[in-house]
Amino acid sequence: MTNTFDKSMGVILLVISILFVTESMKISGSAYGSVIGPKTYPLILGIILGFLSLRLLYETFRKNSETPEKMKLNYKRFGIILVSAILYVFLLEIIGYILATFLFLLISFWVMEKGKLLSTILIALFFTLGVYLMFVTLLGGSLPKFTLF
Amino acid sequence: MATFQFLMDGFATALQWHNILFALVGVIIGTAVGVLPGIGPMSGVALLIPITATLTSGLPTESAAASSIILLAGVYYGAMYGGSTTSILLNTPGESSSVVTALDGYQMARQGRAGAALSIAAIGSFVAGIVSLIGLVLLAEPLSNIALEFGPAEYFSLMLLGLCAVSGLAGKSMTKALIMTVLGLMLGTIGIDGVSGIARFTYDIPVLYGGIEFLTIAVGLFALGEVFKTILEKEADTDPIAKITRILPTKQDLKESAKPIARGSLLGFFIGVLPGAGATLASFFSYITEKKVSKNPDSFGKGNIAGVAGPESANNAASGGAMIPLLTLGIPGSGTTAILMGALIMYNVQPGPLLFDDHPEIAWGLIASMFFGNLILLILNMPLVRVFAKIIQTPQKYLLPIIIAISFFGVYAVQYSTFDLYLLLACGVLGYLFSKNDYPVAPLVLALVLGPMIENNMRRALTISNGDYSIFVTSPLSLAFLIVAFAWIFVPIILKFTGRKVIVNEEE
Repeated sequence: MTNTFDKSMGVILLVISILFVTESMKISGSAYGSVIGPKTYPLILGIILGFLSLRLLYETFRKNSETPEKMKLNYKRFGIILVSAILYVFLLEIIGYILATFLFLLISFWVMEKGKLLSTILIALFFTLGVYLMFVTLLGGSLPKFTLF
Repeated sequence: MATFQFLMDGFATALQWHNILFALVGVIIGTAVGVLPGIGPMSGVALLIPITATLTSGLPTESAAASSIILLAGVYYGAMYGGSTTSILLNTPGESSSVVTALDGYQMARQGRAGAALSIAAIGSFVAGIVSLIGLVLLAEPLSNIALEFGPAEYFSLMLLGLCAVSGLAGKSMTKALIMTVLGLMLGTIGIDGVSGIARFTYDIPVLYGGIEFLTIAVGLFALGEVFKTILEKEADTDPIAKITRILPTKQDLKESAKPIARGSLLGFFIGVLPGAGATLASFFSYITEKKVSKNPDSFGKGNIAGVAGPESANNAASGGAMIPLLTLGIPGSGTTAILMGALIMYNVQPGPLLFDDHPEIAWGLIASMFFGNLILLILNMPLVRVFAKIIQTPQKYLLPIIIAISFFGVYAVQYSTFDLYLLLACGVLGYLFSKNDYPVAPLVLALVLGPMIENNMRRALTISNGDYSIFVTSPLSLAFLIVAFAWIFVPIILKFTGRKVIVNEEE
């Protein structure tokens, strides 16, 4: 797995470095008569990254594919939590902080380990309200409220 | 004795009631972070930056910065204390700097001497903390006076040295470490260029004009990355926890560990001052040293108390030593100090030689609070160690989602943009992939913090020299820094070629 990841990283980085170099060429060269403008530094970085990605590719191809031990990954658990996290961000400013956080915590607690429904709900509720009350009431900050109505 | 006067003023700051509270909260959270496997000091500090930012929002900038850095530093050195607890009781180090502690500490616990091991670790950490603080007090003035003489060329080379040192020691592959460094530097160029006011790599996307927020990247890569890793890889495991019977060490224990503590403190302090070499390396070196000077080296790994006392003192001394380059030179030597530096910059406080003149309240307040914090930690870790041992049993079911929720809240409360939350999630996934494939993330964060400063100093130096790049090698100090920087990169490569084993510093 590491090897495939390294190979694709090498290629992606090479593309990034080429893009970075060409894009920094487009930045105007000099700002106030100084020889060194805003484009020099990114240009240097892009070139260094190019060399490093070539070096990475060279190292990866020389090393040959060794088969690392397979690990059983919990994709389902991770996937559900990640998707609900993305949904959380998407819904945060629509349904408000309290509802979004409560639902997110409920789902993730449940996905992590089923059971103990009562304490799951209580902890999710306690955390959400605790953060909201402390931040908004005590410290005078603001978090998104439910805005559909 | 001007230093003494400053230190007393620092105590006046540190002993204000809210700062006592901040130090207390910091070290308690730090101990918890150290105890919990899966959250290292770096993610702990990163997670707490936005929280402290909101907590201190009512205070004037100067005292807000002082208070939050007191709390954040408390988390950092508190984690060094807490890390030993799980090493000894569970044989699973809470963070990487306590890996060697597990070798002898767990054996001691199995022999029923868990209490002695824990208290020696706490005492050693305390002594080391105080030793490194005294070093910090003594070195702060002279070092920042030297640094005041630096011009932009010297600063540029020194920062380059910092980056090279961290990349040279981070992780298994130096190519990967350097790639991460350059990526961090590149991310730092996004946004409005501070010198000319020209927008770079923004593509008319409004959120990019302010640049990529360091906080989002740090919390995402470290905290979320580690949480995702645990979600994906770990099943709930219930290891038996060793019982703590007697907390106080015997006279014999104290006698045997006095010298290792002294050696570990000094060694750790000097290693900590060096950029790139952090607490992990310090504890390794201390363990090796203790084994070498010991009369019966065979007893190591079988529950020798010196194997706990030395490394635990060393890692704590190193965390104190690491504050020196950060505070006096403005160069963070490790991932965690880079995050602390990012926090200071958020408050518009520039760490560096001028810190002691411009913001004595912050610099000396922090130092004074560390004396106080170490004392609290000694108390927390001796009588209350049983309470903290309970934290290990916090069910992951609740812990992991709550960490995600805290990082969402923290980033949103500071940034007020959902763009940063998406970025946070992306960084979390990337952080997991990176660390799984041996791409160290610490250099990236360090480079992101240092990047704009490196560029500014480079351009200032080149403006002075009218575009002549030789300014970096004609100044003797700058040349010296550059030579050391190259040595950090090339000496390990040469050592590898000659077949030597190179110790790497993997910081979580």
